Amino acid sequence: MSGGRVLVVDDTDFNRRLLVRLLTSIGHQAVEAADGRQALERLRDPDAEPIDVVLLDIVMPVMDGYETLAQLKADEALRELPVIVISGVDELESVVRCIQMGAADYLPKSIDPEILRARVEASLAQKRLRDGERELLATIERQRSQLSRFLSPQVAELVSSADGEALLAGHRREITAMFCDLRNFTSFSEVAEPEEVLGFLRSYHGVMGPLIVEHEGTLEHFAGDGFMTFFNDPILQPDHAARAVHLAVAMRHHFAALSADWRRRGYTLELGVGIATGYATLGRIGFEGRYDYGGVGNVIIMASRLSGEAGPGEILMAQRTYAAGDGAIDAEPAGERTLKGYSRPLPTYRVPAPAQPADTGIITRVGA
Amino acid sequence: MTTDRTLDPAGLERLLEITGGDLEFLEELVDTFLADAVSQLDALDAAATAGDVAGLVRPAHSLKSNSDNVGATALGDLARQLEADGRTGVVPDATARTAAIRAEFGAVHDALLARRAQR
Repeated sequence: MSGGRVLVVDDTDFNRRLLVRLLTSIGHQAVEAADGRQALERLRDPDAEPIDVVLLDIVMPVMDGYETLAQLKADEALRELPVIVISGVDELESVVRCIQMGAADYLPKSIDPEILRARVEASLAQKRLRDGERELLATIERQRSQLSRFLSPQVAELVSSADGEALLAGHRREITAMFCDLRNFTSFSEVAEPEEVLGFLRSYHGVMGPLIVEHEGTLEHFAGDGFMTFFNDPILQPDHAARAVHLAVAMRHHFAALSADWRRRGYTLELGVGIATGYATLGRIGFEGRYDYGGVGNVIIMASRLSGEAGPGEILMAQRTYAAGDGAIDAEPAGERTLKGYSRPLPTYRVPAPAQPADTGIITRVGA
Repeated sequence: MTTDRTLDPAGLERLLEITGGDLEFLEELVDTFLADAVSQLDALDAAATAGDVAGLVRPAHSLKSNSDNVGATALGDLARQLEADGRTGVVPDATARTAAIRAEFGAVHDALLARRAQR
């Protein structure tokens, strides 16, 4: 093992001199402090090279070993630093007390170079292991926070959780999927300036994104004016159908103010939402180098078709979603619809339109 | 009269051994011991004169551990006893005890210098 930097804290010159000499001869670097206060000053000095292990005498003037140890353990930055207490053979009680306070080990005052070597190296190994762990944790945390900016928070959480790998590998579960996109977006993007289109999308995403997070939906993808969100996966949500509908209602509500703003500029943009409930296979979809967390199943296709079928401002849902809501969903029959790719017409439900076109009240939130 | 209890040769031999046989460093350690002891004795005298029993503990403690390390067995024992009594808070004969320690230190000092002169 390569040498470490050891802080020798002892009030007698004799002991310091002897310990420094012994530490140096076994390849460590030694730094001296004559009492606890000097030691803490040295350890907290941001310009000084970091210390790996502290050898601490107990009986000292100014600040004794107990107080020094207590201060070290109370200091977030120094808590993990291994402390070896130097003690006389007749002071075992003090040793016990120090170990209870968090000292790593003790060293008899009648110093034996082999014991000194072994204990310092054990503490040094422990310190290096902790430093490595700390670095690793910092890296994981950094990756996680970066990841959570690219992925849904639920998916980012999943990737770093213990059972994440099994869930990513693929599993089947009942979900509620919600598709939403804009009526007239294609014609809007043809006639509007590209800067206007991007500006609109930014404010649109800025309003919708936080609503998805607030309702704890898993955002599968964003593509221009459309996005797909699902519920009950990876986090289980017994009320997934109601959550999806509540999210759709909140979106419609907030979108009203956004679209009013754009209507004044001469563009009519309307939100259409389709919601379906059923089984899907969920997990990692894609190829090495570019995976998404997504779902495959009829439920997703149905939600997408229902969204295509929805009129301006309409929230259209499949019968199964309405049924799964178990009374928590305020909806009315919207007739049987023949969806593309489906041989038989399917009964659908819609959330009644709000009493007034642009709901009042929460609009101040938009564009904030 | 130098007895083994004043200066047990095993003490310095051990120090010499653990420092890799460096005689020069051993002499430095002996000088450090002597210098430390002078200030420890002064602190003991001051505490005894002032009747500060708690003030005896720390210098007695340091003197004890240094004495043990150089092989000054009797001096170490006197200091050890004074430290222990100091911790109880009652040392009626503090002045006499520190005087005895100073006398024993004189013998250790002479023995250390005599030993150095023999080299």
